[in-house]
Amino acid sequence: MKYNVTHITQYLYSEAVSLCRNEACLLPRETPTQRCLSSRLLVEPAPADLRERIDGFGNRLSHFAIQQPHNELKVTARSELIVTADPEPLASANQVAWESVRKQLTGARASNNLGALSFLYDSPLIGKSQQFSDYAGASFPPLRSLAEAVADLMQRIYHDFKYDPGFTTVATPLSEVMETRRGVCQDFAHLGVACLRSMGLAARYVSGYIETLPPAGQERLVGADASHAWFSVYAGEAGWIDFDPTNNQVPSEQHITVAWGRDFSDVSPLRGVAFGGGKHKVNVSVDVAREPDGLLQNQSQSQKQTN
Amino acid sequence: MRFDGYDTEGFYDEVFDPEGNPRPGADLLIQRVNDLPETELQRRQKAAERALLNLGITFNVYSNEDQTEKIFPFDIVPRIVQAKEWEVIEKGLKQRIKALNCFIDDVYNDQNILKDGIVPTELVLSADGFRKPCIGLKPPGGIWCHITGTDLVRGGDGEFYVLEDNLRCPSGVSYVLENRSLMKRTFPMVFDACSVQPVTDYPSRLLEMLQGLAPQGVRMPSVVVWTPGIYNSAYFEHSFLAQQMGVPLVEGGDLLVYNGEVMMRTTKGLEKVDVIYRRIDDDFMDPKTFRADSMLGVPGLMAAYSSGNVALANAPGTGVADDKAIYAYVPEIIRYYLKEEPIINNVPTYACWRDDDRQYVLENLDKLVVKAVNESGGYGMLVGPHSTAEEQAEFAKRIKANPRTYIAQPTLALSRVPVLVDDHFEGRHVDLRPYILYGKDSIYVLPGGLTRVALKKGSLVVNSSQGGGSKDTWVLNAEGGSSPESTMQNQEGL
Repeated sequence: MKYNVTHITQYLYSEAVSLCRNEACLLPRETPTQRCLSSRLLVEPAPADLRERIDGFGNRLSHFAIQQPHNELKVTARSELIVTADPEPLASANQVAWESVRKQLTGARASNNLGALSFLYDSPLIGKSQQFSDYAGASFPPLRSLAEAVADLMQRIYHDFKYDPGFTTVATPLSEVMETRRGVCQDFAHLGVACLRSMGLAARYVSGYIETLPPAGQERLVGADASHAWFSVYAGEAGWIDFDPTNNQVPSEQHITVAWGRDFSDVSPLRGVAFGGGKHKVNVSVDVAREPDGLLQNQSQSQKQTN
Repeated sequence: MRFDGYDTEGFYDEVFDPEGNPRPGADLLIQRVNDLPETELQRRQKAAERALLNLGITFNVYSNEDQTEKIFPFDIVPRIVQAKEWEVIEKGLKQRIKALNCFIDDVYNDQNILKDGIVPTELVLSADGFRKPCIGLKPPGGIWCHITGTDLVRGGDGEFYVLEDNLRCPSGVSYVLENRSLMKRTFPMVFDACSVQPVTDYPSRLLEMLQGLAPQGVRMPSVVVWTPGIYNSAYFEHSFLAQQMGVPLVEGGDLLVYNGEVMMRTTKGLEKVDVIYRRIDDDFMDPKTFRADSMLGVPGLMAAYSSGNVALANAPGTGVADDKAIYAYVPEIIRYYLKEEPIINNVPTYACWRDDDRQYVLENLDKLVVKAVNESGGYGMLVGPHSTAEEQAEFAKRIKANPRTYIAQPTLALSRVPVLVDDHFEGRHVDLRPYILYGKDSIYVLPGGLTRVALKKGSLVVNSSQGGGSKDTWVLNAEGGSSPESTMQNQEGL
C-alpha cells in the first residue's frame, strides 16, 4: 500500500520568540515491511541551522534552530511510503514459549540479543512494578506461546481500558492510567511495554500513524487523522512483533511506523526550547492519504477515533 | 609540643611504624614538631584557620540548615608519602584511567565488552550514569574522561586500594593547592628540607590539557570554566580554578549556541568558545537533550558537541563507568582492554544483585559498609559496625526491594594520621584522592592529592559533605634534595 503522509505542527505565540532550538522525530524510518520513498521536513521561518542525525535506536532526528524573532513556527513533515503486509506476522512467534524468550535475555548468552536488551530495563517514563506483572500474569500461563500470550494481553488492555481523550496528558503517570483504566493510545502502548518488561520481556514503544476509515458514505476529511502509538515485543529469532492495544489488532498495512524507543520520551515528535513567546497555542494536523494506484482505491476516511 | 603518648591503637599509621618510630621520610617532620615551643603549633594551626576564612576557602554542606558556607577544616600536620610508594600509585592510576576510558568509549560505540559478556549488559544499560544520547559520540582522541579524582584508601595491611572512581566532576583539587600554600607559610623550613614534589603547576597543566582538546584548526583556543552558580557546594573551586588558569568563569546564561557554535556573551558582543571545562552534571547541560526542566543549561550544546564544534571536559556520559556497580568489574575491565593485571586493587565488593552475595550481605549488615550505587559524597550509606538495629533493618528492606542499587564492602581498618586535638595528637582515619589529567598525548598524575580526614573520633566517613577535613599531602622526591617549590617568602623560620 502506498501512502502520502503530511504532519503539520504549528505554534502560535502571543509574543515573539527570539531564539528556538528543536529536535524533531518526524521522518519515518525504514522497516522490513516499510519503504520510505521520500521524506522532507519543512520549517517556517527558515532555520539557521538544520541537520539530521541517526539516534542510538536508528531513528531519524532533525535538529534545527531559528535565530530570528518569530511569532509563528510551522513544521511540516511530508513522506511518501510503501507499506507491505507480513502475511503471517505471528507465525514464528507461535512456535516459541514466552519463557524461552525471557530466558534468552538473561544469563551468559544475553549478549547475543544486545539490541533487545536496551528495551528490557526501566526507562524514563516506564518503571517495572508488581502492579504490572500482576495484571499481565493472567495472559502468561506457563509454556503458552509468546504470540498468543501477548495477543491476549493486548486484547485485555483493549477491553479493560476505556479510550478517553482528554482524560490523560503526556505527563499522566502510568500508575494513574492503571487505576482509572482510562487513557489514549500512548498510555496503552506504555502500559503494554510496562507489562511485558515486568514479565521479563523486552518491549519497545512505537510511534507512527494509522490510516483511518470513515463510516460508509461519509467523505474523508483531509488533516483529521492523528499520530498513533503502539508497542512491539521482542520474540527472539523471530525479531520484533507489533501489537496495537488501542485497536486490538496486529498492525499490518494500515500502520505506518515513524520511530521507536524505550518510551515516548525517546521519540516525541517535536521538542525543544524557545526563549520568549509569552502564551502559546499549538495546532497539529495529520493526514494519511492512500495513494490512488489506478482503480477506486481512494476510499475516504475521516474518523479521529484511533489516537 | 610532642608526639609522646601518641598511640597508633593497632591501626596502620601513616607517620609511625608499629613500634612507634617515625617512618622513613617522616623523621625530619617529627623532630621539628617535637622541637617546637609549647603552644607554638596551636598558634600556627589557629593562624592557618584564620587564613582559610579570610581567603574564602569554604564549603557548602547541603543539609546544613542555615545554608552558610563553612571553612573546610584543615589539619596542620602534613601526610607524607614516600617516593617508592608513589611510583606504584601513579602507575596504577594511569593504568586504571586508560582502561576506564576504553570502557566508556566501547559502551557508547561498539559495545564489544557487552557482547563478550565481561560486564553484565543490564548493569551498564540500566546504570544511572548511562546516557542514551551519548551513543555513537566520538570525543577527540577517544578520551571521555579528562579529569579524574580517584579515591584511594590504605588498609590495615599497608596496601593501597581503590575505593571509588570519580569520573564526572571530581572536586577538591583547589584545597590541595590552597593547603600547600598554607603549609609553605606555616612550615617553610621543614617544607624546604623535605624535598616535596610540586603541585602548584596543576592549573597550568590543566589549562594546557584543556587547550589541547580544542577543535582542529583553532589556533588560540578559548577555554571557559562552567559553574552551576554560587549555590553549588564547589563554587569556590570553580572560581579558583578559572582565576588560576586566567580564563572566564561562566554560567549557563552566559553561553548560547549560535549557527551551531557555542558563543559567550561578553561586553564586546559574542565570542566563540572552543573548550568548556564543565562543572555541571550531565543532566543539566542541555535541556533539549537531557532534563527539560534544567534552568542552568545551554539548549543545543549537545548538537554543537556532537558536530565537533566545541570540546567538553569531561565528556557527557562518563558516569556510566563510576557507577559503584560497574566498579566491581573494573579489574576485569583492565584485563579486557589492556591485557594487564591491575596494579592497584579494588576493595573486595559484594554485589547485591548476585544471590549469594546478597544473602551474605543481609546476614552481615552489622559488619559491612553498604553503599547505594548511584549516590556519592557519603550520602545513602550504612556503616555496619556504627549503625543501630533500626538502620540495619531499614537497609535490609531497601536492599531486598532494589538489589541492583546496592553494593557492600568489608569495613576497612583505614590507615590513620596524627591530628592536632586541643593540646595533643590523636589518630584519625584518612583516604587520599589524587587527581589525574588525561590529555591527548599523555597522562599526568598530580603528586599527592587531597588527603581527607574523618575528624570525628573513630569515624570512617571522610567526605567533606559529612564534616571531614583535610591535610596537605607531601610526596617526597626519590633523590632527596630541597623542594622544587621555593618558599622564599619565609615568614616564620623553623
